[in-house]
Amino acid sequence: MSEYQQFQDERDKIDFFIGKGYRINGVNEHLNGATVDFLHPNGNVTETLLIGTANGRKYFSSLLIKQNQGK
Amino acid sequence: MADLRINLAGIKSPNPFWLASAPPTNSGYQVQRAFEAGWGGAVWKTLGDPILNVSSRFAAISFNGQRVAGFNNIELITDRPLEVNLKEIYETKKRFPNHAIIASLMVEPKQEKWHEIVKRVEDVGVDGLELNFGCPHGMAERGMGSASGQVPALVERQTYWVKEVAKTPVIVKLTPNITDITATAEAACNGGADAISMINTINSLMGVDLDTWNTIPHVAGKGAHGGYCGPAVKPIALNMVAECARHPHINVPISGIGGISNWQDAVEFMLMGATGVQVCTAAMHHGFRIVEDMIEGLSNYLDSKGISTVSEIIGKSVPKYSDWGNLDLNYNIVAKINTDVCINCNKCHIACEDTSHQCIDMLTDTNGKSYLKVREEDCVGCNLCSIVCPVDGAIDMIEVPSELPVMTWNERQAALKVAADCKVDVTK
Repeated sequence: MSEYQQFQDERDKIDFFIGKGYRINGVNEHLNGATVDFLHPNGNVTETLLIGTANGRKYFSSLLIKQNQGK
Repeated sequence: MADLRINLAGIKSPNPFWLASAPPTNSGYQVQRAFEAGWGGAVWKTLGDPILNVSSRFAAISFNGQRVAGFNNIELITDRPLEVNLKEIYETKKRFPNHAIIASLMVEPKQEKWHEIVKRVEDVGVDGLELNFGCPHGMAERGMGSASGQVPALVERQTYWVKEVAKTPVIVKLTPNITDITATAEAACNGGADAISMINTINSLMGVDLDTWNTIPHVAGKGAHGGYCGPAVKPIALNMVAECARHPHINVPISGIGGISNWQDAVEFMLMGATGVQVCTAAMHHGFRIVEDMIEGLSNYLDSKGISTVSEIIGKSVPKYSDWGNLDLNYNIVAKINTDVCINCNKCHIACEDTSHQCIDMLTDTNGKSYLKVREEDCVGCNLCSIVCPVDGAIDMIEVPSELPVMTWNERQAALKVAADCKVDVTK
């Protein structure tokens, strides 16, 4: 899989959760990229994604800034 | 025609082009010829206790046909008696009252030494002083030049001593042989400097002869490090000027030095904060009359921009220079190969495939003709293909509108911190 395809795959997964109303609840950065926790709107379900591509990490970071601005 | 006059900390000159303190300003004969050619100012070759030089002093690097891409010297400050220099400075100033003559000075780091030489050179009518805290060879071994210039406390103290007696503006010339030039620039300001100039030469060994195994240059089979200058050092100098220009505690005019070879280089330095520029290597390579092209080119440039005085461009690019953390991570450019211009040399493909991001494909059209195409989705906009391309206009770097808002690294890190602070603990 090309890096671009990998990014698209990561972006689609992120968009899937955001589209269902999840919020980014935590980011753990490590040597393999970032582990991003998503929190369901009802507050009792979390989902986790490993985001490895640089563009993927830029993408969720941009969403996080937008999310923080909306607080 | 635009007004090219500058005023650097009170030192006025008819244009921003000064000769730097170096072999071209060794004598009154040379400086007067330079002024006749059109140079606006000259920083006299450094005065101090007259030294002894060695024979075989210069070396240069030619690169791919360009002679003197870099230049190296192991010559020291003036070897002529102070009285001789002062007499010639007086005569030169008398002949050229509207041109700037700045005396470059270097003495031992002792208050009485600085007081003595400042008074003596100001008595003959110099327009300003430049303290040489930069010369990296020979003098540094004696505690002067860059040996002083690498220690902020010594820069501040010696500047202060000079300012105790100086009646003319004091420029402090800084060495690049230091990790952070803003540290010494700030020290100069704290000592009362009216202006700073940079860069002096960079420690260098030009080469080793493969047959004799001697250094280049060598003196009877032995070599010592010299000072590197010329076009090769321009990016280093430009960065140092820019770093000082944007520093909040460095608020004095800057005289830009380092590889300036033409009017375009001068404009770049002035846009990055220099009030004027000093030139040496280009004059040593091509003679004093290169200043004619510099003056004409600068004047035409300003006219074409509708700018009436050269001082209007000073520092205009400084706000565009920042820290990496303030750059937009969501800004994207990609390479676009213009197949009607491309000669299919494949250098871009090789460079990208071997050393970058493997996004330039070698393809064949329906007529069997080879062509190169960028897979834009995989291109990171590194510029390498356009850098190695031998044909102007064959590769353009094109901005790609981003769907994402501006996001800097600093903003991203701040957002991550907010997220961490607001994290909701949930047990799955």
